[in-house]
Amino acid sequence: MLYPAAQLVRASFWQFSVTGLSQGFVGLQNYAKLFRQESLTMVVANTLVWVAAVVLVTIVLSLGLAQLLGARFPGRTLVRWALIVPWAASVIMTSKLFAWIYDYYFGMLNPALQALGIVSHPVDWLGDDATVMGAMIAVGVFVSLPFTTYVLLAGLQAISPDVYEAARVDGASAWRTYRSVTLPLLRPALLVAAVLNIVYVFNSFPIVWTLNDRNPGFGHDTMITYMYKIAFKSSLRDIGLAAALGVVNVALILLAVAAYLRTVRWRGEAA
Amino acid sequence: MRRLTLVWWVSAVAALLAAGCDQKSGAKSGAVTAIKVVIADYSKDHTRPFWQSLSETYTKQTGIKVDLQVIDWNSIDQQVTTMVQNNQPPDVLNLNAFSSYAKDGLLHSADEVLSPRTREDFLPAFVRGGEYQGKLYGFPILSSARAFFYNKDLLARAGVAAPPRTWDELVTAARKVRALGPDTIGYALPLGPEEAQAEWAIWMWNNGGDWKSGNQWAINSDKNLQTLTFLADLANKHKVTQVNPGKTNRTDGAFHLFKDGKVGMVMGFSPLAKQLDAEGKVKYGVAEMPTNVGAAVTLAVEDYLIAFKKPSNADAIKTFLDLYYQPETITRWIRAEGFLPVTRSSLEQMRSDPGLKPYLDALPSAKLAPTTDPAWDKVKLDVQQTIGLAVQPGGDPRQVLDRLQQNAAAAGGR
Repeated sequence: MLYPAAQLVRASFWQFSVTGLSQGFVGLQNYAKLFRQESLTMVVANTLVWVAAVVLVTIVLSLGLAQLLGARFPGRTLVRWALIVPWAASVIMTSKLFAWIYDYYFGMLNPALQALGIVSHPVDWLGDDATVMGAMIAVGVFVSLPFTTYVLLAGLQAISPDVYEAARVDGASAWRTYRSVTLPLLRPALLVAAVLNIVYVFNSFPIVWTLNDRNPGFGHDTMITYMYKIAFKSSLRDIGLAAALGVVNVALILLAVAAYLRTVRWRGEAA
Repeated sequence: MRRLTLVWWVSAVAALLAAGCDQKSGAKSGAVTAIKVVIADYSKDHTRPFWQSLSETYTKQTGIKVDLQVIDWNSIDQQVTTMVQNNQPPDVLNLNAFSSYAKDGLLHSADEVLSPRTREDFLPAFVRGGEYQGKLYGFPILSSARAFFYNKDLLARAGVAAPPRTWDELVTAARKVRALGPDTIGYALPLGPEEAQAEWAIWMWNNGGDWKSGNQWAINSDKNLQTLTFLADLANKHKVTQVNPGKTNRTDGAFHLFKDGKVGMVMGFSPLAKQLDAEGKVKYGVAEMPTNVGAAVTLAVEDYLIAFKKPSNADAIKTFLDLYYQPETITRWIRAEGFLPVTRSSLEQMRSDPGLKPYLDALPSAKLAPTTDPAWDKVKLDVQQTIGLAVQPGGDPRQVLDRLQQNAAAAGGR
């Protein structure tokens, strides 16, 4: 793990030709060039929206799902298995499947929404600048739900039935019990789910790459797909510059996680 | 999600890694005992079996082992870049570019790795397409040419008697087809990142424009501005294209729509004809490109074999290439893949195939992309990532072309 990291840092200080041939040490020039890129601001903003939206929506929905799966009802095993499916399927295949579902001419989504009267005209979900990010976020949530739900479900089941019993004896309402008993005791699990999701969603490549592959430019890229485009798919075609962005990405994600843990007071909670 | 994103992350990082490895080429003298051959995947059915059997024949003849890798087009740039970065280039590589490698001094020229008989068999246009500074470095592996495809049923239903020969006729025909129904598309225009440079080049040439004027880039010429404005009008004024043509790719966009019978006209190539024949769903015709000025021009694409310089590997490569360029061998493969010949002997053998007639007829007037200029590798990517924006509502063709011109001039300056 350390060797590739060291190589990434090293590459960020070198200049390479289009072919990949090393052309010498250039110090911090790649970093200077990176921060001069006009599209960088937009890409950073896209990344923030992408990570924040996917992680928040995933956790809120997973809380509900975990509660549901914790309850006893007929067919629970079946539902639990069904939830694993999007997790077990390859993210690339899932993304391609969604690309077809969203498709303007062939997709299932538009006819369904039109039948329900939600939209009056078909929408080009992946081509219209107003809808691309939302469409990607929905897929991001879909593939993140299983893992998050199971982390929270494990958290729920670790809560002793005795505390619920005590709450019931005290005459607490269901909502009051949830807020004052379940959520506080679920905090370690929520913390794990949030941190891991921030890292995974930030680093997620296939969803954004597959659903956004038809769009020219960098308008809907996150920092991960931007890095790949800088290296291989844009006129920059510069692996030194892409390595510099790679280093920035790693630093950023470490900072984000540290900041998050600080605000939720990890140490106090762990004690 | 966790495991897979990690895999992606690791592979993306790995692609950027292994920087500036020291030039410690283990310069062992003497003959090589193995060569590495990297081939792009043209089709699942034919590419690997053909090269596998060629490699086995080669090993039997020479005793030299072949490390064969067949890599899909989406990741070949990334993987080859990593090989070069790690100072582990293949001996023989199949790619759609060569001049950057020649410029970096990484390649053998034809003098070192081709026998005179093989070289003389190449068609002259493809020799010119493989030269860098007067020497042949990019050896033609196969070629393709675009042609104008039309859906016979849709044109007939729209009352269009013959495929359009001019841009005006194209607009009229496309309007009539478009009027057939809400989901019917007159002309499918793929200007998304996958292959925008090819679609653009054909329109550009059929209006008398070009990539360059002499040795200078001329992407923002008046003629090209007129062409791009025309394409934007097809989308936004005449509204005869599919939705968001600047954001439609070729394979899963325009071709897919045509194969489904929704499209009146599209620019295709012989592999599309093969798929259409296999599916039998669409009755199609193939014609010359409609033109706005002068005779019709089409795009020919030449893919290359290049040979990397490594200690005493020239003879081993020469034998391998000679084996591939045996007339029966190369023809057998090009036929199987549905592409066009690059050698005189193959051309003679394939002339009798009626399905290939429109492409072979178009070949003499076909033009190639400026792949002999190392700047093209960047210009191509720039066109792919920007030209689609010009045909979106509110797009600015002049601004897009000026920007491309500026970047092309800068890329050539280095």
